[in-house]
Amino acid sequence: MSILSFGNSERLFWLGRYSERVYTGIRALSGHSVERKCFDESNPESLYCSLMYAYDNAIVLRDEIGSEAFSYIQMAVYEMNSAKKSPAPMLQLQKVNDNIAAFWGMADDVISDENVRGIIKLGKRIERVDLYARGSAGNDEIRREVTRLTYRIEKTGLHYNPETLSALNELAEGENINRPEVIRMVESLINFPDYAG
Amino acid sequence: MRVKKLRYSYHMQLDFERPAWEHNFKLRCFPSSDERQKISGEHIKIYPVHFSNSERDSFGNMCIYGTAKQIHSHFSVDVSGIAETDIDGKVIAEPHKAGIFKYETPLTKAGVNIREFHRSLEPRGWTGEFERAVYMMRMLCDDFSYVSGSTGIATTAEEAFTIRRGVCQDYAHILLALCRLERIPCRYVAGMIPGEGATHAWTEIFDAGIWRSLDPTHNRECDDTYIKISSGRDAQDCAINQGVFYGGGKQTQSVHVSVRIL
Amino acid sequence: MKVTEEELCRHSDSVNEQLARYGVKFGIYKGGEFHEQLFPFDVIPRVIGHEEFSYLERGLKQRVTALNEFLRDIYSDRKIIADGVVAEEFIYSGSGYMAQCDGVSPPGGIYSHISGIDLVQGKNGSWYVLEDNLRIPSGASYPMIARELCMRSIPSAFADNLTEDNRNYPELLRRTMDYVNTGGHSVILTPGRFNAAYFEHSYFAERTGARLVTCEDLTVENDRLYFIDYSGKKEQVGAVYRRISDDYLDPVNFNRESLIGVPHIFDIYRKGNVALINAPGNGAADDKGIYYFVPRMVKYYLDEEPILQNAPTYLPFYDGDMRYVLENFDSLVIKDVAEAGGYGVVFGSKLSSKEKEDFKAMLKAEPRRFIAQEVIDFRDIDIYEDGKRVPRKADLRAFVLMSDEPVVWKSGLTRFSRNPDSFIVNSSQGGGFKDTWVMKEES
Repeated sequence: MSILSFGNSERLFWLGRYSERVYTGIRALSGHSVERKCFDESNPESLYCSLMYAYDNAIVLRDEIGSEAFSYIQMAVYEMNSAKKSPAPMLQLQKVNDNIAAFWGMADDVISDENVRGIIKLGKRIERVDLYARGSAGNDEIRREVTRLTYRIEKTGLHYNPETLSALNELAEGENINRPEVIRMVESLINFPDYAG
Repeated sequence: MRVKKLRYSYHMQLDFERPAWEHNFKLRCFPSSDERQKISGEHIKIYPVHFSNSERDSFGNMCIYGTAKQIHSHFSVDVSGIAETDIDGKVIAEPHKAGIFKYETPLTKAGVNIREFHRSLEPRGWTGEFERAVYMMRMLCDDFSYVSGSTGIATTAEEAFTIRRGVCQDYAHILLALCRLERIPCRYVAGMIPGEGATHAWTEIFDAGIWRSLDPTHNRECDDTYIKISSGRDAQDCAINQGVFYGGGKQTQSVHVSVRIL
Repeated sequence: MKVTEEELCRHSDSVNEQLARYGVKFGIYKGGEFHEQLFPFDVIPRVIGHEEFSYLERGLKQRVTALNEFLRDIYSDRKIIADGVVAEEFIYSGSGYMAQCDGVSPPGGIYSHISGIDLVQGKNGSWYVLEDNLRIPSGASYPMIARELCMRSIPSAFADNLTEDNRNYPELLRRTMDYVNTGGHSVILTPGRFNAAYFEHSYFAERTGARLVTCEDLTVENDRLYFIDYSGKKEQVGAVYRRISDDYLDPVNFNRESLIGVPHIFDIYRKGNVALINAPGNGAADDKGIYYFVPRMVKYYLDEEPILQNAPTYLPFYDGDMRYVLENFDSLVIKDVAEAGGYGVVFGSKLSSKEKEDFKAMLKAEPRRFIAQEVIDFRDIDIYEDGKRVPRKADLRAFVLMSDEPVVWKSGLTRFSRNPDSFIVNSSQGGGFKDTWVMKEES
């Protein structure tokens, strides 16, 4: 097993989260609001910024994820930049998502360390539960994502709060899911230590 | 052999304005035995400390370095022991190994004022390096006053000479600057002398294969009451305490030295 | 080469596209802001024949061996000074000399593990060493990945199998790290992603399997260096390929403002408990002033004639050389020994008469600060630009890796100036790079 630093475990996690945020964000775009939601560099919530955050993490993880997997994030950035200039950005945004999907597939295929793979996926799962709970996803979808998250979390070696995890599962099982509570719990599941001292 | 016995104690304390942690330190305040002094009954206490190790640096000075991980507002070191000094002991070195002490450092760089002073000195036909250094020391002392607080640890030889005031560190740096203009190998010495107060600083001049001590602050050759702690090219090589830490804010360093002739 | 250069040029765009895909960039600060830039790649390789490279190889091994001996000597016995072969002021007054390294024996006796020797070829075909880089020479990653991507884009160019494969650099680097490792992991210590060469740091880590770390991941405890993993477990580290300059390496021992160094790493290095690659204090041997003495070192330590020659160089520090420099000012290039990266270089012929007088006065006031060299008539090499081939100035950085013996990497970084009138090939000043093909022995 290779050795993984605190810093990189956190970066892998955020790489997973931001890539998911962009992917799900692009899929949810409807024609008219594209400009602000998507390309506003001064808006940290924009998909453009989210992708740059994913890139900032990925570039520091080349030795963990490999140049091949990294290259798809790099290409997603190039596509995002050309989408920004395009009169019909949805086509390029589709390519951004193609690259993100390829990144996930490649990461799954080439990364030999189970924890490294697992942390990226956990980031993805946590982000998805968060996004679904905020958006218009149905209860069944949220339930499914919570189950996938629960399955994933063990395979990361990260410290998590087991009570929060079972409370989250209980919550997701309920008839009427308390969505703000789901968001609160999923966001407090993992706490990265302040390793810088 | 003429031997004198001295009891010394050294105390250094750092007071932090705010708590500090992960404090990495390197201390250089431990006299060690050589041809001119024998150290015995040494006692060292460093507080706080998580772990520490020791080594001799490239100039042969004893160092203790380590880490104080825990949160602390004060950091202190206490060193005490007996030094038996031998004025006739000869500190020998090979000439080509003394070469490094011939060249200026940022703290001992001669600027226009030191250069001009150096030009004004009579080019008398002194035979040895040591004699020339003694002559330059005498001339320097005629033209320079001891005023405590007039300079700081980062003051250069040129800056102190320009205002003609300073403390032992400045006297030593200026004499080194003068000697280095003549490519005489010479080094800075940090140490202690009898009495109560701060550490002292003087110089060593390389002459015919032997390091000889000169104290420009007192305008004299060192006698058997001087206890050497460390030596190097300048005060920076002899830094008593090098440290980095998180937190801490402003730090205040206080030092107390006591040397008694037994 | 079976494939023609025209054929290569047709694939220029696709190779550069591949380089962009893999993020082959370098960082640069403009107006205080960090930018990542693609490193322009020219697809026409510099080709060096087998015989010619064998000659360079012998010369490079000899030179690096002598430089390593020199470092060992000046940080221990100083025989070369006692024997009057090298003027001591060039050692002790040079900015690269570190008194704190005196008396330290690095693991394996190796000082310059990775040496980057910059060469140029004159019009007459002779090679000259322009500079030795023994601190943190960078650049090997670029031809390495360019080769990988060229092989993908233009497989026909390599079908004849006549070019030495340069993709073994990670193995050489790994062997170099393992050879001096004092026990535990080997790591690559980077200042972080805002360093100009960050791509290289991360790419070497990926390809050697050595962990890429920053100071936050390392700690010194009880005279050992440890990597702290994300579960808090400590793993001992025995070799650090550090891409941080001496000054910033250890805030306790050097620049205390350094936020990228590891406290006490130098203390335990002194005790032989970790290998630092390259050794601190190497700057004493790759100083522009010391360069003058390298051919003498070869004779002194190895009792051999130097195989590689320096560009004809003068030290104004010596009276005879000073006279020559003043009299032949117009035909010389003057370099400030304290500068690097193509800065502090002045061509005598390009100064106005007023500037010349001022410069000469400065030369007389501070003779130790400068060296003067004959301007070498470079052999230009072609680059492919806007659809045609144009000649440009270029140099070659050859890499020598030291383990049980010196090994010359059978390739090198060829850097060229994109400006037709410039001799300055540095990437920080807009230069580009080429792959360097070393041909195999013909069977």
